[in-house]
Amino acid sequence: MLIATVLGDVGRSLRVSISASLIAMVVGVSAGTVLGLARFRGRRLIATFVYTGMAIPTVVIGLVVALVLWRSGPLGSLGWIYTLKGMVIAQVLIATPLITGITMAAIQALPPELPDQLLALGASRRQFVFRLWVEARVPLLAAVMAGFGHAVSEVGAATIVGGNIHDQTRVLTTGIVEDVGRGDFGPALAYGAVLLGLAFLVNALLTSVQQRGAAWARS
Amino acid sequence: MGALLTLRGVRHHRDGRAILVIDELAIESGERLGVLGPNGAGKTTLLRLLAGVETPTAGQISLAGTDGLLDRRRRLAYTAQRPTLMTMSVQRNVELPLRFRGVPRAARRSAARAALARVGAEHVADRTARALSHGEAQRVSLARALVCEPDALLLDEPAAALDVTARTDFLADLDAALAADPRTVVHVSHRPTDLLGRSDRMLVLYEGRVVQIAAPRELLLCPATVTVARLVGYDNVIEAERTARGAIHLDDHPVGLRSPGPTGRVWLAVWASGTRLVSPDAPATSGVVTDVRLAPGHWEVLVDIGQPIVARCELGTSPPAPGTRVGVSLEPSQTAVIGSPPRET
Repeated sequence: MLIATVLGDVGRSLRVSISASLIAMVVGVSAGTVLGLARFRGRRLIATFVYTGMAIPTVVIGLVVALVLWRSGPLGSLGWIYTLKGMVIAQVLIATPLITGITMAAIQALPPELPDQLLALGASRRQFVFRLWVEARVPLLAAVMAGFGHAVSEVGAATIVGGNIHDQTRVLTTGIVEDVGRGDFGPALAYGAVLLGLAFLVNALLTSVQQRGAAWARS
Repeated sequence: MGALLTLRGVRHHRDGRAILVIDELAIESGERLGVLGPNGAGKTTLLRLLAGVETPTAGQISLAGTDGLLDRRRRLAYTAQRPTLMTMSVQRNVELPLRFRGVPRAARRSAARAALARVGAEHVADRTARALSHGEAQRVSLARALVCEPDALLLDEPAAALDVTARTDFLADLDAALAADPRTVVHVSHRPTDLLGRSDRMLVLYEGRVVQIAAPRELLLCPATVTVARLVGYDNVIEAERTARGAIHLDDHPVGLRSPGPTGRVWLAVWASGTRLVSPDAPATSGVVTDVRLAPGHWEVLVDIGQPIVARCELGTSPPAPGTRVGVSLEPSQTAVIGSPPRET
């Protein structure tokens, strides 16, 4: 029974965090690339918003998402409050600015002549963007790792938007908070260890990909 | 042969300032065009516009038989001043333009090897690009440009950052790689020595405008302006007078040159080797030696004749000491007469 509960919480944690990280990766890497390359009016202002977004407390994001998804809110008809979908939305909003900001910095850190050289070599638009990502692969994977880490470890938004409903929206972090609140430090510590182990496994996988890419570049 | 690249009414502005103005320029198929100019003259901008990396603020640039910017980029090859190589092996770097063009892997590999061999860099094929010296990286960049057999090669000061020996070696390899090559080459440099022996025609840019286009020999013999004379390497550009009969006088002494044109002030461009030191009593302009410097293979003697002039003395001779009064005679065959003012407007 206990094992089934733990496995359920682990599964939900992974589902929510990985889904949110993947969506945030697509949005963040694309937006960061545009912000890193393009020169347009208002780019600095947008960059400032992105960097501010990296530092917004997750409970504030949770509060905003909850208000939007609340039954009487603008997207209340979706019925996503206290669901995993709602939690994914909150975690996407948490991870996206982080991935966008790091991607933007990574693209800007590339040699300034690189974009023009790629165009001069005859790269199409798709080949151009792909090559830039390949050149910036190490910091880009760091951005994805940071996004995942931020998403899997946050508790405020998950609690507010998910409601920590047993067997439905309870995840590892909200479970720890609940157990500590009840004074059950043993299960909370066990959940913490599982959470650390998961974060370690996912990051070990990403680090392996990242370092293999770096080694391939050196070879 | 017809024009391969044509520029018409090209105006390019940056931050509201005109940085390149070219009314008309046709680069012939198979032509070797050298573009000479000081820093900030618009040389790199011209190459970037030709390569399609930038689009001009106004005007047209066309490559014969192409339709669209990507098509033009894929038929030209541009090497930037700093060889920008990707963080991968040299072999893969050279294959990259072929990969962009969808060439199959086997064909890419053999073409890249051949291109590297052509520039004398086949021994670095399996190295990572980051492990290359600047000279090797520049060769790889050249191989990458040549690998897709472009219609024209656009070279932006490829030897600028190399030391003297590496520069000589690189330029020798460049000459060998392009020796029997019929393709068009546009080579940009601020050093006349990089271009004079490698160009069919030279274009001189100054402050974004074309000052002169001529064959290298004509450019040396008849620089159109003082700026051109200085850019092609004349050691001395001095003021003189043209008389009513067209005779050129320096300090009231005829220098043995005639040049038809309005009387009054002209400029003489003189190689240091065409400036002889003679007795101060000789019928020539005279002045005082202000400095003597040892230079490779000769002494450089600076003389004040009311304006500074540099003369050369053989290394085996004893040059006059500073403060000595000397006569200065100009060798007419080493002197060009220029009618335009020192700075073009």
